[in-house]
Amino acid sequence: MPAAAEAGRAPGPPDGGWGWVVVFGAFLSIGFAYAFPKGLAIFFKEIQNFFGTSYSEVAWISSIMLATTYGAGPISSILVNRYGSRPVVMFGGLLCGVGMISAAFCTSILQLYVCVGFITGLGLALNLQPSVIIIGKYFLKRRPIANGLAMAGSPVMLCTLAPLNQFLFENFGWRGSFLILGAILLHCCVAGALFRPIGARTALVKTLVTEEGKDALKGKITEDGPVEDKPEEEEEKDCFEKINQYLDFSLFKHRGFLIYLIGNVLMFLGFFAPIVFLAPYAKHTGIDEYSAAFLLSILAVVDMVARPATGIIANSRWVRPKIQYFFSFTIAFNGACHLLCPLASSYTGLVVYSSFFGLAFGMVCAMLFETLMDLVGAARFTSAVGLVTIAECCTILLGPPIGGILIDTFGDYKYMFIKCGAVMVLAGTFLFIMNYYNYRMLAKEEKERKRKEEDPKSVRTEDEGKKNWNKDSTQDGPELEPLREEGEGVKKEMNGTAEV
Amino acid sequence: MPAAFSGQRLQCLLLLLPLLCTRVSGGSPAESAVTTQDSNQTEVNPVTKMQAGHESSGNSVATERLKPASKQNSQSVSGHEIVLSGASVEKDIPVPSSTKIELTCKLDENSDLKDPQVTWKKGSETISHTSKTQNSWTIELTISDKSHLGSYTCFLKGEKEISAVFHLQVPNLEGRKKPIISYEGDKAVMVCKTEYNPKSWIWYMNVTNGTGRVSIDKVLPTDKFLIKIKSAEVSRLEILKLTKEDGGVYWCEASFDLGTSETRFELRVLSITTPLKPFMAVVIEVAVLVITIALLEVCSKRKGKRGEKEFDQIEKL
Repeated sequence: MPAAAEAGRAPGPPDGGWGWVVVFGAFLSIGFAYAFPKGLAIFFKEIQNFFGTSYSEVAWISSIMLATTYGAGPISSILVNRYGSRPVVMFGGLLCGVGMISAAFCTSILQLYVCVGFITGLGLALNLQPSVIIIGKYFLKRRPIANGLAMAGSPVMLCTLAPLNQFLFENFGWRGSFLILGAILLHCCVAGALFRPIGARTALVKTLVTEEGKDALKGKITEDGPVEDKPEEEEEKDCFEKINQYLDFSLFKHRGFLIYLIGNVLMFLGFFAPIVFLAPYAKHTGIDEYSAAFLLSILAVVDMVARPATGIIANSRWVRPKIQYFFSFTIAFNGACHLLCPLASSYTGLVVYSSFFGLAFGMVCAMLFETLMDLVGAARFTSAVGLVTIAECCTILLGPPIGGILIDTFGDYKYMFIKCGAVMVLAGTFLFIMNYYNYRMLAKEEKERKRKEEDPKSVRTEDEGKKNWNKDSTQDGPELEPLREEGEGVKKEMNGTAEV
Repeated sequence: MPAAFSGQRLQCLLLLLPLLCTRVSGGSPAESAVTTQDSNQTEVNPVTKMQAGHESSGNSVATERLKPASKQNSQSVSGHEIVLSGASVEKDIPVPSSTKIELTCKLDENSDLKDPQVTWKKGSETISHTSKTQNSWTIELTISDKSHLGSYTCFLKGEKEISAVFHLQVPNLEGRKKPIISYEGDKAVMVCKTEYNPKSWIWYMNVTNGTGRVSIDKVLPTDKFLIKIKSAEVSRLEILKLTKEDGGVYWCEASFDLGTSETRFELRVLSITTPLKPFMAVVIEVAVLVITIALLEVCSKRKGKRGEKEFDQIEKL
């Protein structure tokens, strides 16, 4: 967490005030990004009839959209690194709107692939990443709560969009609905307008800085270890420096980042499949259509409540320092739910499963980006999130089909649940062990640094002057290193404020 | 783009999509998933009225739709069975072609009714049993004509009377309950489906001046309507170059060996300006919001700068 480093030249994140407005904007933006592709499902039967295609050809629209939203992560990161969150989100909103409006006039399914799949998908990608990034810029102390609240946008939007889409479809047909949905997606631009760039502030905000002191110190402990890698790298070719400016590939040397990446890529193999197959499984056990649909509604409602609640829990002083353990626990808990699902054969059992699944799903989603921010810090988070989403893209899209193959081969849903549960428990255990190792290494590196700073370097302290409000010696040494790395970051932030 | 887009993967999405639309509409029948049940509703209503007369124990009447796994040819004999325990039961049995059918009424062992007197009836006419066991009674029917279709009931009379009704009927067609909406100048597509192979399909539309309906084959100009039959079970009507007058009711009729079955579609043709109004409203709302936010920001920045200047002045002092 670079809060202390930022505090050097700019006061730390405000953790409130306009930040909550930004959380609302992120809520909208993230909600559209996750819920919109799912909400489109209502139109697919009609589109299939209209163009005379098979259902699988229409389902490609959804796949292309999902693939683009996750695959365009790095593009999003590069643009945010260059221009800041606000222009990117507003442009993303425009792109979504244009995509859906042009989809309303499509005359073939290929055109729909392009308009709805690529263009709207790209727009949503440009919405998703910057929204998560800007939360990291506005919050530090209360960041888990902010993340939890913002991620709650997904289930809320889904519950809003689905009936809305149904209403639009019944009154305007699919073409009219796409047109109006294009206009509705423009609200992402409104969300973007709320993302006031935050950067170097003036001396007025000094008081805020002292409050963040202790958290910044804690944060430094996790940040310092990996930061030491950076300086050597930057002395390499200029070309690499330039690329790193836009997309930080040096993250692949970051221990915490690699742990997160491997753990998450593994987890996503079993993450979405159970949702896809919950209702078919319910019908398979003899439950009627509406009750099966109701199970998913229970899931959504529990999810909605679980996300902010998890944010609050994660923010508490018992959990926050060891938030990675909490994340691993939630993943393992999720996996355990799936492993126990085959035992639930009655409707009540499935209702209980749905509630626990909704809870676990919400907990994991709320923590997803918070833990990454915790590991790499807000400055490098921009690039980290892009790299992570493109890596996850593959497993996310493979998960349900593999589940489907298991179901078709064995003719029984339980193997799919067992597979998902096992994968997630494995991912959770892996993350737990590796993070234990990571915390220990970080503590070791912290001790090393403290020993090195025994040498008097008090001259630097005076130079820092008003920047160095906390006289702890641990602050002095590493100040210079992040200065070099975050010098660019600050310049960009300054550029950001200059725009407005 | 990620790896293998296998057929199953799309099948999974296929499962996801209709279910997600049923799920959050709070269970309201979404087109994609519940059409079979919808099209049954109209068939069942006259039956339930009939059933009201038979009801004895006051339990709810269960209606089942029976779909034989394979399509029968006229040589094979298909059997259908109802197991009765305490309540009266009904079953819909689609009969696509001439065939022999066995209907069996079976008494559940746990039922209170012991050694009942069993009669098979169609309407008022009694049919004699073909075979009988300890607790099941079967009749065999040869369905070769329209008049053989109908409702066959077995009455079990003991201390109380319960019955099982088999509704032998021409297979139902799957259509669209809600109106199909399209736009002027665009095309409209109506898809009529069934699970069995009808001999032929006919589409009807209302006669423009007057009442009654006319087959679309006979309507000119011929380039306005396109009837495509992709497979025996699906018929597709496309109406091109729509105008407001094209709105209305259309029928799809399928002829089977033993009769015809039809379903109804309603078409509504809207002008392009209809969705434009909400569209413009939302766009204007978005523009207003964005401008308001921008103005607020500019104002608060100015205040901030003024405050800063004052602060700096105070500092200097």
